[in-house]
Order: sequence, then structure tokens, then C-alpha cells
Amino acid sequence: MSAVLHAHPESGPALGVTETGKPRRVLSEAGMRGRWWRFTLILAITAIVLVPIMVTVVLAFTPGPTSTATGFTFENISYVFSQTLAATWLKNSLTVTLATVVVSVAVAAPAGYVLSRGRSKAVSGYSLLLFVMQSLPIITSVVPLFILFAGMGLVDNLLGLTIIYVGSTMTVATWMMAAYFDSIPVSLEEASWIDGCSVFGSFTKVVLRNSLPGVLSTAIFAFLLAWNDYLVAIVFLRSNEIFTLPMGVQSFFQQNLTDWSGVMALAVIMMLPPIIVFATLNKYFSVGGIGGSLAGR
Amino acid sequence: MSSTTVQSGLARARRGVAPGGSGGRPRNNGLNRKSKLSAQTSRTYFWLLLTSVILLVLIHGYPLVYAGVQATHDGNLIETGNFVGVENFANVLGSAAFWKATQFTLIFTIVGVFGSWLVGLGLALLLRTKIPAGGTFKVLLLLPWVVPIVVSSTAWNWLVATPESPVPSLFRALGLGTPLFLADPTLAAATVMAFKVWVSFPFMMMMTSAALASVDNTVYEAASMDGASRFQQFSQITLPLIARSTYISWILMTIFCVNDFPTIYLLTGGGPVDATTSLVVLAYRKVFQDFQTGPGVAIAFLMTLTLVIVSVILYRQIRKSSVE
Repeated sequence: MSAVLHAHPESGPALGVTETGKPRRVLSEAGMRGRWWRFTLILAITAIVLVPIMVTVVLAFTPGPTSTATGFTFENISYVFSQTLAATWLKNSLTVTLATVVVSVAVAAPAGYVLSRGRSKAVSGYSLLLFVMQSLPIITSVVPLFILFAGMGLVDNLLGLTIIYVGSTMTVATWMMAAYFDSIPVSLEEASWIDGCSVFGSFTKVVLRNSLPGVLSTAIFAFLLAWNDYLVAIVFLRSNEIFTLPMGVQSFFQQNLTDWSGVMALAVIMMLPPIIVFATLNKYFSVGGIGGSLAGR
Repeated sequence: MSSTTVQSGLARARRGVAPGGSGGRPRNNGLNRKSKLSAQTSRTYFWLLLTSVILLVLIHGYPLVYAGVQATHDGNLIETGNFVGVENFANVLGSAAFWKATQFTLIFTIVGVFGSWLVGLGLALLLRTKIPAGGTFKVLLLLPWVVPIVVSSTAWNWLVATPESPVPSLFRALGLGTPLFLADPTLAAATVMAFKVWVSFPFMMMMTSAALASVDNTVYEAASMDGASRFQQFSQITLPLIARSTYISWILMTIFCVNDFPTIYLLTGGGPVDATTSLVVLAYRKVFQDFQTGPGVAIAFLMTLTLVIVSVILYRQIRKSSVE
């Protein structure tokens, strides 16, 4: 399931297959030429696709028009850290995102366990309900939540933001955990029940302990949703020092429309954490979950 | 955990059952302790589900009900206002802005879904063949999906926004004039759609790759022995085998496109002259810029309705195409 990025089928349809059924032999000269032709093609496509990302990185480390420095520089990065609230925004983003990740998993894991093991009408009804809620546009619930949270002092507040992020991750996160728990055989739990373990005990000691990949997939999903969100942030955050990074980048961009070095330095700071997470945990990167994550954002 | 999460999810939703296909259930296995375990199990399930239910009611249930109240009142963000019945809906449905936004949303969605699907499918097929460093390319090509929209929209802005930006300069140098990518209404719409395809094709690529990985390669050997051409193999074998997964990715991408906000808002803000105003952007502006909560929420409601209808149609298609 987590093998999306590892799937390298040994031979594809485009590879010559002889009538004798021995693919290896065809991979002679023509096969090799085809391989390098395809390599060049994919290299060109990748290069074009990555232009916006490379531009961001290059501009962030290139001296700005008013700078005296030449070549590679950390000037822009240190500029945004000293002259903007970048450090505060980074801290806010990290706080909200980590809290969202921890709470989402803590809420989704037990609920996912019930969805995976329970078979009553109530459980299947709840599972459908989660599915329906997941596909509704977030803008529908943002307005009423804004009014509710305004009365509770949770607008322009990181706790309020975290609650909404947990709320929007929990539907897909629960489905993801349930799908992973499905792959853990009940027979493992039965053994522990015979030893006198309770259902809750077998959930924590047997199921959860064997679910690290599922937990990581869910955590990555929650991480990306909270880290990348813009719609909820723009509605709920008002003051500069409460901004998360997306809001910080946008506000800086709008106030300094020509200061591309500064904007790109902030942009690099913002894209680094997701890229680090992606680079280190990419085998737990989940299409479906992340798909759901960005719905409506 | 890949597309399977969503696929099994949709499959479950269709059947209307909870997940748990592979495993048995505790209360069937306890033999002599059956009933005792069952009561105890139900209690445990209740507590395990409690926080989830509370959050669902607070973050999803309550707002949905309250949105219904707002859509039928003439209030703003501070007051609920007076009950006006379906007036908001009538006003919205009678306004040209709504239909213009609907039209844009429709085109944006169609281009977003099929554009990203075609690019994703092409790349997935290419990456399925033997290519030196193929795995690395696969990871690199996912970056547009991983990088925050706030970051990539900034980069796109730098590339195309003004006549002096790199891409318009390149066009000028090639003697193609100076296209105003974000200032010309038609070009702005095209640019936003291109941006959406750029952001979304990795998702389609991953979904398709996962589906292709489960296709048994021996079917191609058999087909080529029977004299099927490459194209025949693709259209007669590959496409039908990945049809289910394809439909599911279309459904998901339709939902993403219709609900999309940052891709459009961060690049053009809905302009120029509303040329790229989608329904979500329109709803957002109505509520938070014009302070007309009722019409804004009414738009969101109408969108929800449309999404449900579109999903139902697509669900039916999935059911028909099911190669289970």
C-alpha cells in the first residue's frame, strides 16, 4: 500500500517483448537507445516542471538589487528573519501543525479502530457520515465557525486554528487509520484476548503497536494539510504576530510587491519542512490521504 | 497507504458498510465468552469513538446547520438578521455574477481534471518503462503537489505577472508579442488552469502509477502474441484495467477543483474583471468583502448540491465499470 513510490515494474508495455517471450534479449541496441531517448524526454519534462521551484530557490539565495554581495548569499534569509516576523510565523506554523498532527492521530486512531472492527449499523452510518462531510466545500463551514469562534475569543487565535485543522483532517485521517487497521489480522488480537486482555488493551498493545506505517501516513497527511492551508488562515487570522507562514508570505508579498528576494527567502523557509518530511518519509506518502487533504483548500 | 485508502473508502461508501473487510470481528470469535465480550466491546467502542463524534458535531455538524440558518437570513458576520426564506437563493440564481462564476468553475474543473489526468497518465506510462534514474524522476515530479500553493503561486507570479517577467520576455524575444498572462481576461483564465494542472498532475500520476503497478504484465505478452499493436494494447487492455481507479481519481479531482480556493485566489484574486472568479472565490468575497453572509452561504450551498449530484453520476459510472 505504501509502495506507490517504490513500484518499478520490471517491464512495461512499451518495452519490446519478443514472440518467444524473452524480453531480455530485445534490450539490445534498439532497447538501449529507447531507454536513453526516454531518459532525455523525462529529464526535459522534469526540468520544465520544476522551473517555478528552482526559481524560488535561486532567487532566495541570490543577492537582491540593492545588495552589494555577489554570488550565493544568505543575506535574504537573514533579512527576513531580522526585518519581518518570519521567526514568529515559523514558530506559529510549527506549533499549529505539530498540534494538529498529534491531536488528529490521537482522535483518528481510536475512531479508525472502531470503524475497522465494528460492524453495527451505527458504525457503518458514522463511517458514511465521515465520507460525506469530507467532500463538502470547507467554505460552507468556515463562515458559521467564524461566528461561533468570534464569540469564544478563538478568532485570531492559534488554538482556534488548530481546532479547525483537526476538524478538517479527522474525516480522512479516520478513514486512513481504518484502512490500515483492516490490514492487521484480528487473529493477532484474539491471542491477546485469550490471555485476558481487554479490547482497549489489544487496540493499544497489539494493533497500534503494529501500525507505525499507518500512523505515519496519517501524520504526513495532517502535517501537509495544516502546513499548507491558506483559506482557513486568511479567514481566521487578523494580526501579524498570530500569522502562520502562508499568511506571512502573502502579507509580505502584498506589502513589498517588488522585493522578490525577501518573498522568495520566506517561500524557501516555508517549503523546506514539507520537502524534508517528503524526502525522509516518502514511502509513507499517501496519494489518497493527501488527495483528500487538499480538497477545498 | 496509497490510493487504496480512497478506493476502499469509496467502495465502502457504495456498499454502505463500515471498513473491516479483511478482518473478522471480535464478537464472533469469543466462543463461550461471546455475549460478555460483546457488551464490553460495545462500551469500549463507544469511548473510542467519543472524541471523534464530538469533533464531528462541533466542526462539521453545527456549522452545516447554522449555514442553513444563514442562507435563509439577511444577516452579516455579526448578526443573524431576519428570516428571508429563499430570497438569497433567488437573488443568487438571478445574478449574472453567479452564472459567470459557475461557467468559469465548470471550465476550470473540466480542464483541471482532464488536463492533469492526461499529463499524469502520460508520465505514469513513461515512468513505467525502464528509464535510468526513473525512481528519482518519480519523486522529483511529485514536488508541485508537495510544495505549498502559497509558495508556488508566488513563483508563478514572478514568472508571468508583468510584461517584464521572464515568460513574457521570452515570448517577446521569440517574436510572439508580449502576452499579459494575468491582465488579459482570457489569458488569465488559461494561466490559472495551467497552474492548476501543474499543481495536480502529480496526484494523477501517483494514482495511475499505483493502478498500473497492479496490472499483470503477462496480459501484454499474450496480447502481443495475438498481434495487438501498442495502441490497441493501451486502449483495449491498459485503460479498461485501470478504469476504476481512473474514475475515482476523476471524482476526487472534480471535488478538489470545484472546492479550490488558493490556486485561483493567490494567482489572480479572481480578476481581472472577475474573469477567474470561481464559485468559492465568489462566496468568499460575498461574505468577507461585501459582508453579505446570506448570499455567500447560499452560493456555498448550491455548490454542495452540485458536487453531490456530480459525484452521484460519477459513482454510477464507477459501479458500471467495476472490474472487481
